[in-house]
Amino acid sequence: MQLSGLAGRVAVVTGAASGIGQAVVRRLAEERVRLAVVDVYEAGLRELCRELGEAAPELFVADLTDPHEVMDLAKRVLGEVGDVSFLVNVAGGPVAPSHENPLPRLPTRAFPIDEIDDVDWARILATNLTTAFLVCRAFVPALKARRFGRIVNFTSIAARRGSDRVGVHYAAAKGGVIGLTKTLALELGPQGITVNAIAPGFINTERMEAAAWGRRTPEQHQAVLDAIPLGRLGRPDDIAGIVALLCSDQGGYVSGATIDVNGGLYFGP
Amino acid sequence: MPLSGRVAIVTGAAKPDGIGHAVALGLAREGAAVVVADLYEAGFAGVARAVEAAGQRCRCIRTDVADPASAEAMVKEAASEFGRIDALVNAVGGSWGITPEDLTAPPRRGFVGLTNCSLADWRTILGVNLDGAFYCARAAAPYLRASPGGAIVNFASVAARKGLTPGSEGSSGPYAVAKAGIMALTRQLAVELGADGVRVNCVAPGVVLSGRARRLMAAIGSERGPEGMAAAVPLGRFATVDEVAGLVVALCTDETSYMTGVTLDVNGAAYMA
Repeated sequence: MQLSGLAGRVAVVTGAASGIGQAVVRRLAEERVRLAVVDVYEAGLRELCRELGEAAPELFVADLTDPHEVMDLAKRVLGEVGDVSFLVNVAGGPVAPSHENPLPRLPTRAFPIDEIDDVDWARILATNLTTAFLVCRAFVPALKARRFGRIVNFTSIAARRGSDRVGVHYAAAKGGVIGLTKTLALELGPQGITVNAIAPGFINTERMEAAAWGRRTPEQHQAVLDAIPLGRLGRPDDIAGIVALLCSDQGGYVSGATIDVNGGLYFGP
Repeated sequence: MPLSGRVAIVTGAAKPDGIGHAVALGLAREGAAVVVADLYEAGFAGVARAVEAAGQRCRCIRTDVADPASAEAMVKEAASEFGRIDALVNAVGGSWGITPEDLTAPPRRGFVGLTNCSLADWRTILGVNLDGAFYCARAAAPYLRASPGGAIVNFASVAARKGLTPGSEGSSGPYAVAKAGIMALTRQLAVELGADGVRVNCVAPGVVLSGRARRLMAAIGSERGPEGMAAAVPLGRFATVDEVAGLVVALCTDETSYMTGVTLDVNGAAYMA
């Protein structure tokens, strides 16, 4: 649909090199948003920028779990791309990427609590919750200075209804994102900044296909689909439209919301 | 345009300063022909002109959604006129100005809670706000199922989330209950219609600067909505009509293709579910 208030503004999209992040970048580029794309997976960013051609975003490689890298990122983005209006924190996942291993394979098994060691716990919390905190902290002063901004965080159905697969570390981190979102919405509302979270259900990205879902038996796969009223897995594009909406004028009065995008699989409060 | 060739019914769209009117116009701008179902016949010419100026056909049908026969006849007429129905927006609602008798009445003063409302209040308000959405959805369901992208959008309210403080004016206890019912109606319909690709969602606005809200504020002599002052909203202001209507239009399009059963809070962070 025709959305207003997007063209010409600057968006920072983290986790942009794959899956949902990639779809968000493509969609915002269609709306002529100026983009700073961030990921630790440089090859993926380069491929995305090549694909977008003339609309190519500025790309920034950073490990967003590192406070110094995030501070440096904010300085570079604000200096090289310009005033940021939209902050889209897609970075995260059930595995922890790093400069050494920027696109780790997704888990093919469930994570019972007694198999999660201290390092796993700390890494998954850092990847999914600390990243959102650090990126918000680094960019919020610029949003406040303009008295305008839209922050879109990513939580998960794992935090909304629990999960039998991804483990307590991921679910807890994504639950933390909801608390961060609400508190930041209260804190930044007076500055004209909205803060919301999207809670995707089962979204069929290439990496998910290659991992757990690709290994399901046809019967297991059907059981998953049967539980979803819309009868299909989600696509990254299903998420990208909502990000665009929340950044647009049309989304201007939505703040503090956690939006379930799961085909009806779970209805939040 | 995303809704080219599609047909949308919008109830409560005839008053020119209301949310429903802005939804009708927004849907037309996305390519949909619009059926306006309303009791307020004085507004028919105006909304039809606005929709037609956006390049789309418009048909206005006098409808009392609280009367199942009227709601069913409206849907039947819409379908026979346009041959299809792709979207239903149940925008009609409120605590006053909602029946043929009080359609243009000034705001009702005083707090109308559950412990001091009349049984007539209860039935009238539940009838328009909850029963009406049910009647229209049930009648439209067969057509929506046949659509390649059927959608229903209902209106809940922040009143259903947090209740209405005694002393507040302009809304009512029965309204809060009806709007909570709308959330459950939305979920149940989402589950029932999902297999046919019909998505069902609702918006739950806070105070919106519609004509009705402005009339209320003029009557009570204060910039105060039923759910409080703008200053109490973290975003520091009330919603514009377009900020709600734009989301409703989005819920009728592919922007929200994987959302169903959702209550979308539109309240400037005044209440975070």
